[in-house]
Amino acid sequence: MTILALPLLASFTTPMRVGTDPISMLWLLPLVATISIVYKSTKVGYIRPLPFAKETAGLFGSIIVFIVVAAAILYLLAWAVTGPVPALLDKSTF
Amino acid sequence: MGPSWKDNHALYLIVVGAVAWLVPGGGHFLLTERKRAAIMFAFVVLTFLVGLYIGSIGVIDPVNAKPWYAAQVMNSPLVILLGRVAASGNYPVYGRAGEIGQIYTSVAGLLNLLCVVNAIYVAHQRTVEETKA
Repeated sequence: MTILALPLLASFTTPMRVGTDPISMLWLLPLVATISIVYKSTKVGYIRPLPFAKETAGLFGSIIVFIVVAAAILYLLAWAVTGPVPALLDKSTF
Repeated sequence: MGPSWKDNHALYLIVVGAVAWLVPGGGHFLLTERKRAAIMFAFVVLTFLVGLYIGSIGVIDPVNAKPWYAAQVMNSPLVILLGRVAASGNYPVYGRAGEIGQIYTSVAGLLNLLCVVNAIYVAHQRTVEETKA
């Protein structure tokens, strides 16, 4: 038992290797799933598997859509600030 | 009935809140909402443990990351003990893993705070309904 428990406990004392590539953004999915499940568990009147799964999936989907829209707006803003806007402000263009 | 009822009611709400903080889902378990309690316990604890696994127990930092620590403590008072262990040892925490671990453990704490508030609200509502009936 100790032989099994020690490596398990030791794995909680050193951080995992997580890259800074776009794939690492997928770590948000389990977190959004947890938020949806726990939030809906406080809101629904009776917990029955199918209606609860539907409610949770709806909230999960709406959070993901909102995040994607917010990311797209921020990306466009960053693109505008670093590209076309400085070019327009440049005196040589007038 | 007046003052003593109020005293008991307040004590009842405090007990429900304290149990809900001590064990995620414990408040709903006291209110015989077993399914709800099981879901809350499983997902809050799992999220907290995943956060610790990703970032190491060094993500619980009561000295240099106080706002995050405040959210993490909402998981359970046991996090205070973990914070002491983390502060006394030299547990590395860095990079993206540290950020993700901190976010996971803190969000788990805030979700448990939501469960605590909900348990107290449900307990209050039930007592009021029982008093009216």
